[in-house]
Amino acid sequence: MSEESQMDTLAYSSRMLSWAPLGKLLLVIVVLVVNILTRSMVVPIITLAIGLILMAYSTNFKIPLFIGLAIAEGILILVIGAGLISVTGSDSSPVIWETNILWFKIHMTVDSFNTAWNVFLRSIAGITVMISFATSTPIPHLSQALRQLHMPREVCELIVLIYRYGFLLLERMESMWNAAHCRMGFNGFTNKIKTAAAIAVGIFTSSSNLADKAQIALSCRNYQGVFPVYNAPPKVGVKWVVLVIAIGVIIYYIGINTLGVVNMAEIFFGKDVVG
Amino acid sequence: MSDYIFETEDLTYKYNSRQEKPSLDNVSIRVKRGVRTAILGANGAGKSTLFYHFNGIFKPGSGTVKYNGSPLDYDRDALTELRKNISVVVQNPDEQIFSATVEEDIAFGPMNCGMERPDVERAIQDSLFKVNMEEYRYRPTIQLSYGQRKRIAFAGALAIRPDVLILDEPTAGLDPQMSQDVIELVDEMVEAGTTVIISTHDVDLAYAWAEEIHVLRHGKLVFSGAPEDFFADLEQVFLTGLTVPHTYSVNFMTQSIKGEPLAPYPRTNSQILCKMRNDGATVGHIRLIPVREGSDMAEEEGAVGIYGSGARRLFASKERVADYHFNAIECCLMEAINGRPSTLYCDEHMMPFVKGRIASLDGFGSHVEVVE
Amino acid sequence: MIKGLTNVVEVDDVTFTYEGASRPSLDHVTVNIKKGVKTVILGANGAGKSTLFYQFNAVERPDSGQVRVLGQPAKYRGKRLKEIRSQIAVVLQNPDDQVFSSTVEDDVAYGPRNMKLPPEEIKERVDRALFETGLTELREKNTLQLSYGQRKRLALAGALAMRPEVLVMDEPTAGLDPQMALELMELAEQLHNSGTTIVISTHDVDLAYAWADEIHVLRKAEVIYSGPSEGFYCDNIKVHSTGVMPPSMFVMNRNLADIRGEDSAPYPRTETQLLSKMVSGPKGRLHVVPVTDKVDHYMLDPVFEHTDDVKVGVFGTVSRRLLYASKMPADFVFNGFESCVGRCLRGKDAVLLCDADCINLIEQKVAGLREFGTDLEYKVYP
Repeated sequence: MSEESQMDTLAYSSRMLSWAPLGKLLLVIVVLVVNILTRSMVVPIITLAIGLILMAYSTNFKIPLFIGLAIAEGILILVIGAGLISVTGSDSSPVIWETNILWFKIHMTVDSFNTAWNVFLRSIAGITVMISFATSTPIPHLSQALRQLHMPREVCELIVLIYRYGFLLLERMESMWNAAHCRMGFNGFTNKIKTAAAIAVGIFTSSSNLADKAQIALSCRNYQGVFPVYNAPPKVGVKWVVLVIAIGVIIYYIGINTLGVVNMAEIFFGKDVVG
Repeated sequence: MSDYIFETEDLTYKYNSRQEKPSLDNVSIRVKRGVRTAILGANGAGKSTLFYHFNGIFKPGSGTVKYNGSPLDYDRDALTELRKNISVVVQNPDEQIFSATVEEDIAFGPMNCGMERPDVERAIQDSLFKVNMEEYRYRPTIQLSYGQRKRIAFAGALAIRPDVLILDEPTAGLDPQMSQDVIELVDEMVEAGTTVIISTHDVDLAYAWAEEIHVLRHGKLVFSGAPEDFFADLEQVFLTGLTVPHTYSVNFMTQSIKGEPLAPYPRTNSQILCKMRNDGATVGHIRLIPVREGSDMAEEEGAVGIYGSGARRLFASKERVADYHFNAIECCLMEAINGRPSTLYCDEHMMPFVKGRIASLDGFGSHVEVVE
Repeated sequence: MIKGLTNVVEVDDVTFTYEGASRPSLDHVTVNIKKGVKTVILGANGAGKSTLFYQFNAVERPDSGQVRVLGQPAKYRGKRLKEIRSQIAVVLQNPDDQVFSSTVEDDVAYGPRNMKLPPEEIKERVDRALFETGLTELREKNTLQLSYGQRKRLALAGALAMRPEVLVMDEPTAGLDPQMALELMELAEQLHNSGTTIVISTHDVDLAYAWADEIHVLRKAEVIYSGPSEGFYCDNIKVHSTGVMPPSMFVMNRNLADIRGEDSAPYPRTETQLLSKMVSGPKGRLHVVPVTDKVDHYMLDPVFEHTDDVKVGVFGTVSRRLLYASKMPADFVFNGFESCVGRCLRGKDAVLLCDADCINLIEQKVAGLREFGTDLEYKVYP
């Protein structure tokens, strides 16, 4: 099973599946925006906590290996990035540590160290919140949410059809891939390239075939030009809007009142350094 | 009401004008209402093309198509009305499943037909029940196996409660169990008054199931009538790319070697065995247990078979697996021919059909007794 | 080829789970494919047949257990992997998944080119494979213009061009017309006769029964039976729980034997064998005319010295192609052997035009009928 369909399986078995998709989307957007509105270190910590809780609840505490690996990889990259930020402070603020590498002089200052932490926490928090949304909202539900936002109907239907046929074409690609292996299609570099091109052509022809046949099948099922929806996922209600706004305001309020409360430099290097 | 559900007159059709040989060439076919009909032919003989004329998807190049005695009207509203009565299940389920979840896909047809919401709900429940997929209602369609997708495609077609059910290669790619499940479902539809038309190149299936066959070859209709008459003409059979069904062939060969008449023609293994045995004896009995709403297990003997969706549900609710959970009528008949008793749980409304199958052996010289 | 080797593929206690799947697709599976034994892997949809094939040619790597190919453990990279892929060819069920070029001959050459063979050898192999599958006339055609049956044969030709020791076919007859299916099974028999080990996966029990020397039955990722067909089919309820049905020939024979109070063995697997066992009457003669490079009317003259009332059947790829080319009419273009023998059983004569290299096969088949009580008089014409 490909990663895409694992993601899909996960979304459909999520405990947050029945939440209004538009509500979830709003929540994610609001939290992400508030996350970067203030410089308080407390806000990303709160956001991270929300993200982790939602993600754990959504996936029923069973986070699949590939998502875990993806997060780990993300953390690794962020650690490197944050590390770079932390050692590129300007020498006007109190210096914690400095050294010479070749002809570069680098300083780690209180500010740069805190900024690095802030960026790091904000990014991790953002990722977890978004993953909690992705693991609980299948694409068709997303399309429903977009429809409620008055996106053109055609666009929403296109999204669902692409999603559905995307999986069929993926299945097809997998079996062509195996078939190519059976005939040694990956023996050597030129063969590899040729095979990849042949598979692309194969998928293209089969998608156009499928489209032709689907056209007939649509008529067989009395298609009237509009995809009907029998069981729309719950609509976003006043409750959702109030809740989301409340959460946003609370986090923001905490944010502006906790500026400087958590000072990473102080925690790590003691009060003396920060001065 | 016309005796014929579909009639075509000199139907000719080309997919595009450059085509040298038309895909359908002067086809005049008459499909009888309520008669189990199979359209036989090799790949590319024009079976699907013909089907798509029945529900007005293709418009004939020349000639006419009649549904229920009146010519098809190709304006949009009339076609919508027509397709409310005719369901087509295409061969590849992936071509006709459009929605992301099972429930949505089954509701697709009924909602397109403008059914009221409570009716749609009932249609979803009924058709999922019939294909035995109730627990999959909220599952995404892409996570289903091939056999399950095929059943969902089926359920989607049943959901509009059609008068005519047209199935293109319904058993292709299915294993024996699933094929038999499909046939069982089809028989249930026929009993309920639906006209079922099947296209296939599986001659064994067509011979065992169909009352009347129509044979296509290179877009031409070469035969209409009782299956035996077609298979008797070996040359014709070979020209159409088909072969002779096993049961026909074994009967034909034994009777010709013995120098005895071919009729009556056995169409199933149990019938052929009775004919070979031919001693007029009562060979055994089958205990028939009707299943209706709220039925429970009853006294059983021998191997146990189940037939019909109600019987299936009963066994599922008791978490029991029957010895013969598909093709059960034939299996129980086999037990009887071997002189062993067996028990068949059977949906009440299918009792006449099952009794008919059992009684059919009388015509081949053996009697199987029914104990109720 | 290693001398005295009996198993071409050994799958030993293999467990395999697809990524993200909750249950294994193969669960402690042990299967030995014997050299020169016509093998069928039988099972319902989703039982794990295709997954097992990908173990044979090292496309998928087992989670645990071991696979040995031609006596050597399978490796999943490097030279050994290439060796395995060229020794074991797998033809998938859907021909559309295995078309990699725009013309027929290019597609057949895909495998040999990937094997980096010299051009003359590629050409020779492609010619042969096209001929065997009856695609010679279509060699320059665009692959998109082929019919389903032709595409299915194209997929087979692509595998044949790799000249494998073992040819594995996944559902070879699925979706084919009955005649095409018969033609394909005849080709499989001929390939087997020329020394290739053939493995077929199917859920068509009638086909499996008529063809297989040995079957391996898969049920829900586990092998539940390995051995001759009869051993499996005699357990009615086990067969049923596998999702298949006992083959018609088996059912008829067993019940008839029961009714008559006789022993079920020997087990007939074809119609002519069953009929030989059930009824007897005066028999006709089978005239076998070997075909090497041409088919014409004059070949039948020696037969007409004996009798006028004959019908003509063909067996073998060469004979069938040459027959089509000669435009000579024949009565049994498909299933030639069975049809001719069927006619002999009804007391009439039949002529079988047969590939010269298949004469031994026909002799075996005729000899096989003796066990069932038919001693067919047959003559091979020079």
